[in-house]
Amino acid sequence: MPLTTVAEHKTERLEVLAADGTLDASVAPRISKEKLLELFTVMTRIRVFDERAIKLQRQGRLGTYPQILGQEATQVVPALCLEPKDWLVPTYRGQGAYFARGMKLRYSLLYWGGDDRGVKFPEGNNDLMFAIPVGSHMTQAMGLAWGEKLRGTKNVSICWIGDGASSKGDFHEALTFAGVHKLGMIMFIENNQWAISLGREAQCAAETLAQKAHGYGAYGIQVDGNDALAVYKAVCEAVARGRAGEGPTVIEAITYRMGHHTTADDATRYRSNEEVAEWKAKDPLERFRKYLLKDGILDQNALDRIQKEAEEYVAEEIKEYEAFSKPNPLDMFANNFATAPWPLIEQRAELEEILREKQSRNEIPELPPAEGRFP
Amino acid sequence: MAIKNLLQGINEGLRQAMEADERVVLLGEDIGKNGGVFRVTDGLQKLFGPSRVVDTPLAELGIAGAAVGLSLTGMKPVAEIQFSGFTPPILDQVICHFGRMRNRTGGRSSLPLVVRAPQGGLIHAPEHHSEAPEAYFCHTTGIKVVMPSTPEDAKGLIIAAIEDPDPVIYFEPKRLYRTVKGEVPEEKYATPLGKCRIAREGSDCTIVSWGAMVHTSLKAAEELEKSGVSVEIVDLRTLTPLDIDGVLASVRKTGRAVVAHEAPNTGSWAAEVSSLIHERAFDALKAPVQRVGSWDIRQPLFKTEHYYIPDAHRVVRGVNKTLSRVKAA
Repeated sequence: MPLTTVAEHKTERLEVLAADGTLDASVAPRISKEKLLELFTVMTRIRVFDERAIKLQRQGRLGTYPQILGQEATQVVPALCLEPKDWLVPTYRGQGAYFARGMKLRYSLLYWGGDDRGVKFPEGNNDLMFAIPVGSHMTQAMGLAWGEKLRGTKNVSICWIGDGASSKGDFHEALTFAGVHKLGMIMFIENNQWAISLGREAQCAAETLAQKAHGYGAYGIQVDGNDALAVYKAVCEAVARGRAGEGPTVIEAITYRMGHHTTADDATRYRSNEEVAEWKAKDPLERFRKYLLKDGILDQNALDRIQKEAEEYVAEEIKEYEAFSKPNPLDMFANNFATAPWPLIEQRAELEEILREKQSRNEIPELPPAEGRFP
Repeated sequence: MAIKNLLQGINEGLRQAMEADERVVLLGEDIGKNGGVFRVTDGLQKLFGPSRVVDTPLAELGIAGAAVGLSLTGMKPVAEIQFSGFTPPILDQVICHFGRMRNRTGGRSSLPLVVRAPQGGLIHAPEHHSEAPEAYFCHTTGIKVVMPSTPEDAKGLIIAAIEDPDPVIYFEPKRLYRTVKGEVPEEKYATPLGKCRIAREGSDCTIVSWGAMVHTSLKAAEELEKSGVSVEIVDLRTLTPLDIDGVLASVRKTGRAVVAHEAPNTGSWAAEVSSLIHERAFDALKAPVQRVGSWDIRQPLFKTEHYYIPDAHRVVRGVNKTLSRVKAA
């Protein structure tokens, strides 16, 4: 018998803004002027923040920091396509997403400054604490979408991952479940071309990561991740699909990690300056700015004002970050259990004794009072 | 002999093992072109090529399973997991396959393979970059667990691990990578697995330790010497199989023991060492064995991490507890 075709798949790519900011009206999303301004303002602020964070790290005022330079559109825009009750499930490079949902940047600094009081979400948001072990949040995002389905809501979950995490088994497991149960989960792949030192081609032999969707009965699409409007359109459509009970979407957003993996990395060891320069020309914020000017949505004065306000805003957040008191070590015992069992009660008392000993010998200064609930 | 740091000791051991046996292959994330995030494998891809020093896709469980397969074909894989905090996924292969293959196949198949992973904290790293998960592995039968504390042992133990016929987990105390230096013999040599080392001789109390905590214990011993207390330090080097004779010989000599380590005490390897000492040398003990470990809580971020992992002061307190018991009696 002749072979028959049992399934055929195609994977499309969406681009709305050309590199010079020209809009293709035939594929442009419906978006209000207010929303455009919101996207642009938040992207500008996170760009300024990122630059300042790197400087703080270099000056020893911050710990290891994962830069998001070049990924402002893929960080900020998806978060602004959601309602507060939709689940936000970012990666550790997710400051932009959390910020877009209203988290104060001082808490991001606090976390990367090694202080457990960091990462404090606004009340009422469904923002999930990010995972550091790569990709371990994917199946959780699936479970979140499942829970919302069982509860009868239309809330979706959106899970950011990198190109590297798409190699993990968790990716397969999350999308397998999400497909079978038609869950409103969006797997948003920020394909920034580099998983530390491993380039995209060495990560996976498939032409696109978006096409992986086909293996799970999910819808998959590739977008230009440095094109804020393409990202906006793809995510809004995926959210609508999720709310309508049509199942999961995989979005592969093609972008570029302009900086090192983190401040502990040296990207010059494994990639060329030419490649970085090539991507600099595709900068997402610059392209957005050109579009806003070209279409007369904003004039230069308004752009300058947004930039200036971003700098003032970030400076204030840094001031607030540095005004935090030193953490009291005893607070490490808070929030480990609803009610702390005896080992923690004993050990906290022992640490208290040790701190007193060290203070009596002038080895450490007076400490602020412990803040955390215990036992 | 050349003076090298711990990281250079491992690098030289890997290089010599690869020179001696072409079946030895390295695999892991960012170990090739980048030379590993700590540069432990720096220069090795240049020397041996990308098919023997392999940058893998980002999938720890895949790396561990690949090591099993490679090993069964007669290769000698040395896999790197970038941080011990990222080893939980590989437990699936470690627990269900590494330690069971020889036994399940009636001895016909064995898995000569090594998994390396940087271990321990106090390097101002983010979450999951500072853990001490050795007990999870020590609890698993059929595998060996190794952790050096000197450059000389780092080289000798990695060579021994690669030459061993059974799976070996080789933890690298990362805060020692560049901070501990010492003489390292030029030639290729193996430091026998299952043998401890006396890191310092003393007569009043034994501190059993491993990895970076050996150095914390050495500091504590100096502190105690000022008040006339003489401490002996046993560096386990191999956690499993434990050198029980070496540990007991020291404890029988001093009559007291403290086990100092970086993990939380509950269910820890220190608990096992303490238990063995009580079971086998109870008659020689002048006081119960003390464990000095981290607290039984999530490891805090780096601003307070040094109050979580024991410092020399906490080790001194542990030793003093064993001494005060006797005074009270």
